[in-house]
Amino acid sequence: MTKSADTHCPYCALQCAMTLKSPAELTPASEPGSVPVPAQAAALAAAATPLLEVSGRDFPTNRGGLCRKGWTSATLLNHPGRVTEPLLKGDDGIHRPIGWDQALAMVTTAVKETRARYGKDAVGVFGGGGLTNEKAYMLGKFARLALGTSRIDYNGRFCMSSAAAAGMRAFGVDRGLPFPLEDLDNAGTIMMLGSNVAETMPPFVQHLKGVRDAGGLIIVDPRRSATANFTADGGGIHLQPLPGTDLTLLLGLSHVVIHEGLADAAFIAERTSGYDAVVRSVNAFWPERVQSITGVPAELIRETARRLADGARKGGSYILTGRGVEQHVDGTDTATAAINLSLLLGLPGSLRSGYGTLTGQGNGQGGREHGQKADQLPGYRKITDPAARAHMAGVWGVPEETIPGPGLPAVQLLKSLGQPDGVRCLLVHASNIAVASPDANSVIAGLRSLDFLVVCDFFMSETAAEADLILPVLQWAEEEGTLTNLEGRVLRRRRALQPPAGARSELWIMARLAEALEAPSTYSEDPETVFEELRLASAGGLADYSGIDYAMLDRGEAAYWPYPAGSTGTPRLFLDAFAHADGKAVMTPVAPRRRRTPALNTDPAAKTMTLITGRLLEHYQSGSQTRRVSELLASQPEAKVQIHPAAAASMGITEGSFVSVANERGQVVCRAELSTAIRPETVFLPFHFPELESANRLTEAATDPISGMPEFKFNKVWVRLAAGQATNQPQNSVLQTTEAS
Amino acid sequence: MSEQIVIVGFGPVAARLIDELMPAVRDGQVSLTVVGEETEAAYNRVLVADLGVGRTTADALALSDAQALAAEGVDVRLGVRVRRVDRARQQVILTDGTAARYERLVFATGSRPVIPNLTGINPDPTSPVLPAGVTALRDLRDAEVLRQAVDGGKRVVVLGGGVLGLETALAAAEEGATVTVVHNGPHPLGRNIDRGGGAVLGASLRQCGVRMAGNARSTGVEHNAPDGGFSALLLDDGSAIDGDLLVISCGVRPRTELAEGCGLSTGTGILVDHRLRAHHEPHIFAIGDCAEVRCADPACGQCRTAKGPSGLVGPGWRQAEWLAEYLTLLAAGTQEEADALQELPPEQAGVVVLKARGMNMAVAGDNGAEPWDEEALTAGAVNGRPRLQIAQWADPEHGRYVKMTTRGGVLEGLVAVGMPRTAAELVGLFERGAELPADRSLLLRLDGPDQLAASGPADPAGTVCRCAGVSGARIQDAVEGGCSTVAEVSKATRAGTGCGGCHEDIKGLIEKHFQAAPAA
Repeated sequence: MTKSADTHCPYCALQCAMTLKSPAELTPASEPGSVPVPAQAAALAAAATPLLEVSGRDFPTNRGGLCRKGWTSATLLNHPGRVTEPLLKGDDGIHRPIGWDQALAMVTTAVKETRARYGKDAVGVFGGGGLTNEKAYMLGKFARLALGTSRIDYNGRFCMSSAAAAGMRAFGVDRGLPFPLEDLDNAGTIMMLGSNVAETMPPFVQHLKGVRDAGGLIIVDPRRSATANFTADGGGIHLQPLPGTDLTLLLGLSHVVIHEGLADAAFIAERTSGYDAVVRSVNAFWPERVQSITGVPAELIRETARRLADGARKGGSYILTGRGVEQHVDGTDTATAAINLSLLLGLPGSLRSGYGTLTGQGNGQGGREHGQKADQLPGYRKITDPAARAHMAGVWGVPEETIPGPGLPAVQLLKSLGQPDGVRCLLVHASNIAVASPDANSVIAGLRSLDFLVVCDFFMSETAAEADLILPVLQWAEEEGTLTNLEGRVLRRRRALQPPAGARSELWIMARLAEALEAPSTYSEDPETVFEELRLASAGGLADYSGIDYAMLDRGEAAYWPYPAGSTGTPRLFLDAFAHADGKAVMTPVAPRRRRTPALNTDPAAKTMTLITGRLLEHYQSGSQTRRVSELLASQPEAKVQIHPAAAASMGITEGSFVSVANERGQVVCRAELSTAIRPETVFLPFHFPELESANRLTEAATDPISGMPEFKFNKVWVRLAAGQATNQPQNSVLQTTEAS
Repeated sequence: MSEQIVIVGFGPVAARLIDELMPAVRDGQVSLTVVGEETEAAYNRVLVADLGVGRTTADALALSDAQALAAEGVDVRLGVRVRRVDRARQQVILTDGTAARYERLVFATGSRPVIPNLTGINPDPTSPVLPAGVTALRDLRDAEVLRQAVDGGKRVVVLGGGVLGLETALAAAEEGATVTVVHNGPHPLGRNIDRGGGAVLGASLRQCGVRMAGNARSTGVEHNAPDGGFSALLLDDGSAIDGDLLVISCGVRPRTELAEGCGLSTGTGILVDHRLRAHHEPHIFAIGDCAEVRCADPACGQCRTAKGPSGLVGPGWRQAEWLAEYLTLLAAGTQEEADALQELPPEQAGVVVLKARGMNMAVAGDNGAEPWDEEALTAGAVNGRPRLQIAQWADPEHGRYVKMTTRGGVLEGLVAVGMPRTAAELVGLFERGAELPADRSLLLRLDGPDQLAASGPADPAGTVCRCAGVSGARIQDAVEGGCSTVAEVSKATRAGTGCGGCHEDIKGLIEKHFQAAPAA
């Protein structure tokens, strides 16, 4: 039997279209049995023959292209490390299989006991930007109605919250790209800040060909990243600001635009408010002063501003932001500064220009619209808005007062684990918080202090390893549903394969638990039925899906939200008006804030440097999946700290040396990779690796006051050659010995 | 109860202080009065020369909005001066006869231009009356005077080879005026720059169309223009430099007379301690150009080496930010609670970055020592303190010059002319006090064309397609196995199936194979 399904990649928000085909002869899935604990990640990378063949499918976003992650994605379906039965942690710390009835009963009991002892908010839910729209929607409903808790948030708080808050503030609505990706093809100028698409979503790069040929690609990145290299040979300009100075650079660009008369006065007058205050706020940032703060030459600042203005008059100009500028304690203000610049130039709401943010996670867009966020109800509604609450109460058939109020954003939620008045029982879905959260050591300590931790995952992730109970769930090729890509286009995920016998959909799990908890309203386990409910729930909201159905998506129609029933959707937002009541975009003046003084370096042998974290092409997020793909692991088997040769030389660090990167929160020990692509006072670590290679043991859980976004990209660290590293011992033994100390 | 704060002066530094105090004003903890001599609220004086050559507009210079402040309850009084300060009654008396009470008074009176003693110019230093055709380029009206000269393509004489004079000269020349800079000493920027840098700078200025008159001492101005205005600057060797407008750019002097009048101690500026408080007067503070941080403790090591006000706006803004925090704490709590705030750290030597298009220069710190100057290099190298080290690069032909003066690898002085990326990097290193790479030439190469060169896959084992992780060797195998187009190679190896950026490289490998084939 050969079955084929047209679906999309399991990983990032580009959601490359792919076709999955079963080979004529199926390799049987490995027998379920005891699951090894992932102390040695390398051993887990499977070499089994994949159950499905992956091929790229022509689609406007990826045009048939896939990256290595997509090509190898099917190897995880029958990975020997896959969790295929509920696993209960014994007193000896070992996870052993149990039946589903027992597992569900244990969750029910834990929830009931926690509620009885500590109140409803002692039960918490942590979701993920990888969940389908249906699951994300149902998780919010399940948390609020079945668990009765306000304590739900998700890992998107670590990705998109700053750009989302800035977009909301400026435009009245947040859709990552308010235009189809193909619009970039003809642009004259594109400025990308803090985004390394050549590594994070390679097929995206096809849309930069035109602008590179025109010499108009501007990359802002403290590293000479693979994407920054595209500006070589006449492709454009690379601006290399010091880490943590992006906001100042953007104010400098706006300064030039205003003072050199490059602003679009008619657009500003007709379509924006707040211009005068922005003029005053950028006045103090003339190029030479900005040069002193950012290290970017004044002349390049002027040239960049002129190119953006020039592009806006000719082929079109786009400004795109990514996590590099957003994952900061001033991330919302930095994204706002980028939006202000785009508004000064008259880019948003035009057919050929615009501002956008590149969403990261697979369903990072849809996942932030339908109720996983602590402050939000489906359809991108505010949980504090009485009209929104009344609407949802109507859809759910419950009294309005049964819907809890706003909860805690992710970092605060995780800080509350095990604390008095905090969360005592936590359910984690599609998230590996033990690796992906800032100040990961504290998060792990929090997880260990819980009364009961339930993790839904298909692998023994580092978070699952901490769980009292692991519930095995489905992988992408085994389920139906929808995701919303980085353009705000709703896509169908389709099943190509029967799941392993013991695995269940989260929808099924939530339905069973809701039943056992005697929850009000209904909880379907059928994705299409849930989507039909989501349509009603989102109707009239900012992210309105009410006009979209599975049949339409299955016909291949391009459905961009808002898509109210009876409409034809909205490929391009803001052409006529912005989403504020007066139809205008709001410019909000922003300014750099002084930063907290970091702790003093207590290690005289170490040099204080700035750490930035980021991604590698081969890995996705916490690496829980991609570290189990043998081809990807073979290519990038371990974390390497990228360091400039000049800095390395002064510390006796050579290529491959083991280096200690530490601060008051924790320590990472890994090999050095010498590169002139990084600034001499900065080091880079990918965050895909666990334990002693976990970059997030060093990041600070300080958050943006508006979005709750943590500081991932600007942390002080103390760098030195690791003690006793002269012997070239294998990585895993280093892991274990240092872990024990 | 809200604390009454009065700010005297409404320039850029006062504007920053007001902005930072606004949260406390909104909370009702502070009630604020601002007295500004000009009829406009604060604007960016740094850009007055840009305005004077038509590169920006007066609207775009605004730093504050008086109406918006008034709407939030700030008492803004414009076009009026403080006549005197009555410290006994804690009030200021204004020239319009009104008074304002204060619990805290902040002087932000700034500075005024130094007007040299020249025959033909009223010598009263506190209220010089400049004849027609002579301006000190300080405010919006001065900018308008320059604007007319530049628009008319007139001859502009700039007196003074400091950074502001050079910026004005460059901008005016570029916008069409005929400009001569008159300065003493052999090269411009004599106070900051070394001989080599100064020579390259002077040559670059000439190349930008600015005429340079060095080693010149001016003695007077001639008023023989048809309207009785300026016609020439007279020099002590008897010569004259003809022109239609004289721009005096001879530095600034703190405005301290009001503070002196009420008995506060002054040096170059109003003397304040490390909490920006006037000596022996806990109710009065001074920030910005008018303030001189030098505490009353004769044993204070910081103050022994302190210099007077820098005339740069950056330190003033940092003072404003610090003082706002301190005043907010004072308004909210006790003196002890406020004093728990860490004192304002001392300012580093100022960095001078020339604001100009088409020319780049940055200088900072002490650049006097030369590489072979043993005496200068070893001076101060006592008690294990390392000696000075100088690294230098000079390419006058191409207008490039760099000098790095370091002690223990950390910059004590820098000069960079004509090398923008190097200048930006050095200034950053100087401000952070960071150690330079041992190989200083690394910093010179930042402006080289090799910096952005893509790392092409010369090595056949190297990766050609990063997206799919395919090496050149595997592509060669595929080509040898019969693939003759990019599409075929992609199908066989997945190379080129991601971003498509390597299609040219794959094509190259295919062509190489078929070119090599007949020879083999």
